[in-house]
Amino acid sequence: MDVKVFQFNGCKKCFNESLLLKEGPKYKVEYVSDPGNWKGEKVDVSVITGYLLPGDLEHLEKIKNNSNKFIAYGDCTATGGVFALANQKGHDVTPLVNLVEDSISVYGCLGEIEELKFAIDGTEVPKLKSLCQVCSRKATCDYLESINRQIELEDSEACFNDLGFLCSGFTASECKEKCIDYNTPCRGCKPSIDRSGVRMMALFGTLAGNIEIATEHSVKGATDKLADADDDLTDSLPDMVGNFFRFTLPTSGLPKGRIPSSGTLMEDVFIGRLIEEIPLISGLLGGAKSISLTLKFIETYEKANQIEVSAQTKKYREELLQLEKELQTAIASEDESKYKEITDKIRFIAGNMNLSNVFFGGFKSIIDTNDDFNEYKTHIFDVVEGTYKNGSVEYTIDSDGIITEIKIEEG
Amino acid sequence: MSDCETPDESVKERINNIVVFMCNECGQGSANTAGVARMAYDAAIRIIRVQCTGQVGPIQIMDALTNGADAVACVGCCLGACHFFNGNIISMHRIKLMKKVFKELGYSDQFVNQYTSRAAEGETAVGDFEDIIDRLTTAITEKGTIKDGC
Repeated sequence: MDVKVFQFNGCKKCFNESLLLKEGPKYKVEYVSDPGNWKGEKVDVSVITGYLLPGDLEHLEKIKNNSNKFIAYGDCTATGGVFALANQKGHDVTPLVNLVEDSISVYGCLGEIEELKFAIDGTEVPKLKSLCQVCSRKATCDYLESINRQIELEDSEACFNDLGFLCSGFTASECKEKCIDYNTPCRGCKPSIDRSGVRMMALFGTLAGNIEIATEHSVKGATDKLADADDDLTDSLPDMVGNFFRFTLPTSGLPKGRIPSSGTLMEDVFIGRLIEEIPLISGLLGGAKSISLTLKFIETYEKANQIEVSAQTKKYREELLQLEKELQTAIASEDESKYKEITDKIRFIAGNMNLSNVFFGGFKSIIDTNDDFNEYKTHIFDVVEGTYKNGSVEYTIDSDGIITEIKIEEG
Repeated sequence: MSDCETPDESVKERINNIVVFMCNECGQGSANTAGVARMAYDAAIRIIRVQCTGQVGPIQIMDALTNGADAVACVGCCLGACHFFNGNIISMHRIKLMKKVFKELGYSDQFVNQYTSRAAEGETAVGDFEDIIDRLTTAITEKGTIKDGC
């Protein structure tokens, strides 16, 4: 079967993952990283990866007209993905379903290769469980006493939401990347239901039912009304868009944001996000450079705020950086077995390709069972206002830990 | 003057569809009382009767907004007087989160609101309706509507 994988804009992580299609003789795969220069020939299956802008429509239609099956692989193509957070600042990242009709969507960041194979073959995907059904933590769904932006990694039995640590697992399907196994709450990259972000917001609003909200006297109605002022609830959730709509902003039904854009699309994705979310976001959109980008963010902050890092942490981080270099070589030579071998090694240390295990001050879960976890366990860190610079990355955070300015030099 | 800034009077003319979810107890009760007393309220108000405002969530509100409502409000029982348990408070939490999202996207937070009313006093419901329209007029004058996209 002829399969062509097209990369549009963005981090290329799914494009690289599709190297695994070359395993076995089943598919004849070709990779097109510049769809603008593609001549256009008949093809059985086209796989689209990367985020899309309305300007890509012409190329997409050309591909669609030449192919029997048309698949959106990964969240960026299927729902807008993490890059669509830039829509908050007026950008126009658009999911494939809104541009071209009759496409099949494979969700996930990273999109799962097995599901892509099912979609290519036309076989039905086995029914997926909800993430909560496969989670080792147990939920009580009691009302929360407080919402916490960071937690100490002590309780591994209680549901993240019960700990006041926002997790979108309720509206997500089971997945391979499984951030929840690495003490990282789900952000809903694989929604099990439409408008998952809005639904999760509704559920979380209910769970937060015991948290104080501000009310005021309505002069005309002579009764109480919900106040507009900030209260405990809004103060403890400084970045709702980034938390609930990280992957699904364009398909959530919310209107396009009109916060003034402050730079490139990549920088607009970061601005407004929280400092403790940064490793995850850079892990998502850094592509083959995500490890070095993430560690740059982390190490700058650690150095400036004297967060101590153990020798063991440094060793693992060095290993990750080394693996990243090897990964880039494997991708350049389109060597799928090498790619698999290296990504498995990265997954061993970083948890998954989104680097869920990597955090400020160490790692979030034990890497090797022979290790003493206390040596590199992360702890709650203080949010310190200031500007942090390290080589090609410079960012400023305010007193709430929200990124207000960022500069990332390409390359 | 940009496209979004329009004088007060013409803004009021543009507001012709405000969906108000009223709970079956105090909310709808006060609207009934207002009706018995022949109190007048703006024709833009469209009442939807629900059992409790706790039944109304962001999905219903977003549906209303994307299908043409200028604004959405919930009117429930007074604080502590929910006829079920705490539906009005739960609804307030959800609506507060929605307000925050609208703010984060650069819109006014007055497209969604929650009020309370007393079944025995029709003027509480009518007062709430007036307040909704006043707030929406100010919001549209300052920041434009959701539909404008400006």
